Amino acid sequence: MSQTLEKSLFQRGQTAFLLSPDASLAAMLRALWSPDVLSFTVFEKGGKAIEHLFNDPPDLLIVDNRLADIPAVEVANLVKSENVYRQLPVVMCVDPVDVETPWNWNVIEVDDFLVRPFNPSEVRDRINLTLCRAMRALDANPLSKLPGNTSIIQRIQQLIDAGEDFALAYCDLDYFKSYNDKYGFSRGDEVLMMTARLIVNTIRSYHGIMSFVGHVGGDDFVFILPPDKAEDACQRIIAAFDDIVPHFYDPDDRKRGNITSVDREGKTRIFPLMAVSIAVVVNTGGRITHYGEVSSIAMELKKKAKENPRSCYVIDQRQV
Amino acid sequence: MDDDLKTSVKGRILQVADLPTLPDVLEEVTRLVEDPDASTEAIAKVISRDQVLSAKVLKMVNSPIYGFPGRISSIQHALVLLGFNVIRGIIISTSVFDMMVLNMKGLWEHSLGCATACNIIARRAGFEDPEEYAVAGLLHDLGKVVTAVQLPDLHATIVATVRDKDLSYFQAEKEVMGFGHDRINAWLARHWGLPPNIREAMARHHAPHLAEFYKPMACVVHLGDFLVRLFEFGNSGDDQTAYLRPEALLELKFKMSDLDRVMDEMAEQFIEVSDVTF
Repeated sequence: MSQTLEKSLFQRGQTAFLLSPDASLAAMLRALWSPDVLSFTVFEKGGKAIEHLFNDPPDLLIVDNRLADIPAVEVANLVKSENVYRQLPVVMCVDPVDVETPWNWNVIEVDDFLVRPFNPSEVRDRINLTLCRAMRALDANPLSKLPGNTSIIQRIQQLIDAGEDFALAYCDLDYFKSYNDKYGFSRGDEVLMMTARLIVNTIRSYHGIMSFVGHVGGDDFVFILPPDKAEDACQRIIAAFDDIVPHFYDPDDRKRGNITSVDREGKTRIFPLMAVSIAVVVNTGGRITHYGEVSSIAMELKKKAKENPRSCYVIDQRQV
Repeated sequence: MDDDLKTSVKGRILQVADLPTLPDVLEEVTRLVEDPDASTEAIAKVISRDQVLSAKVLKMVNSPIYGFPGRISSIQHALVLLGFNVIRGIIISTSVFDMMVLNMKGLWEHSLGCATACNIIARRAGFEDPEEYAVAGLLHDLGKVVTAVQLPDLHATIVATVRDKDLSYFQAEKEVMGFGHDRINAWLARHWGLPPNIREAMARHHAPHLAEFYKPMACVVHLGDFLVRLFEFGNSGDDQTAYLRPEALLELKFKMSDLDRVMDEMAEQFIEVSDVTF
């Protein structure tokens, strides 16, 4: 029943706390995963676990409603009321009698619950799903809902480890800051949403190939494509962006083709309309062995792309 | 009484959930979205001929879900931002008219003719993004379509009034309802979050001199509507001659020679467009 980490759903071994006096529950859970995939630390009393939980939070918390010293709901809420621990998924174990009357899930902020008698394969998949869902939710960019840094790094490392050829593109917007300063954050967010949508749809229009789009944060986006598609994608993104972005300016600024805003030193300056700069790192023949190399090459290329105030792309031409 | 009628009409109009279109364009778009090699440009070109599909696409891309409400007034941009899956969803969920097809064909042709005219006029006037003027022209009679779908009895009364009293459709609307499709356009455009320039042109194409913020676009659609009626291309619900407001020509700085050029170009393009069957 238990798998190796490589074949599991997770990038690294997961840790879980089980707060339960029920020894058979602990035994069942431990039998479902190999300890390198998901290892359990069991606490028979809830009170003892709290400090551990706060000092060294696990990837998953399972709380049994049979705890004698503290109600499961209280443990769950203790975790969920603190912003730094909120993302920790909590699964509650209950007896059938506990679910006879409806629960107020707005007050009890658990992520899932399991009802006795437990069906081991259901428990396994419910918990796997809870962990996967938590990872997705944790990493998604709050604005665009695209995968964030953790997923981006994971994806790149996966491709490197698998020895697959790929092109990784870093996109960012020129003069986004001055737009934000002049029009305010919510108009800035509109531009980011538009950019996200545009990149996603351009990348998705290549059918049947490996691809990925992520949102590093702010006006920084990333996409991954096979090397032979990268240049075409850059050209299409730039064409669409340059075509659409003027519509996000007020008519006067759009007609003038620039905006008057305040620069980093506080001086009033004229800024061009926003443009998109793309730096593409191509990894063929396993030239790159670590994620860090990708990002350092990309940062160098980005400087080059940024020298041009118009939308442009720079592709890493170095050969093996 | 009047206010009660207006409130109930507005309620019914804004409840429109499933706006049907004509079968031919829908079939063509369906074929394109099933073809993995079809470009967005090709799909945009076909959708730009159909007022209902265009309205649906713009409504969707301008909804708050996408995060940039009221910003997109071009079909091509809308398609790039919505993406293939969403477009396919819109197309799949659109039905076709089961009645009134013949009636609607004339209106579809009139709207497409007006879109074509608006594009020509906007270019002649030296305006940027002429395709947005075409969108406004395409949607300028959308209120009539929605009335026919949502309020078939009222629509039948208006049609009968046009015939019996020898009125224009617009005059008949005012006689029957106390207001016209320009008002209905304004409700729809606001409810659907369409960009303000399109909204104003839709709402003011019969009174472009009253347009507040986007007078040039309202004037282009006014003139386009007038000219396409002059050409008798399609049918917008009556056979009356429309009134051309001189203010519109002034606003566009058009002389008679400009009108001549526009009409020449319309004549050329209508030969091409008339291959399009609805």
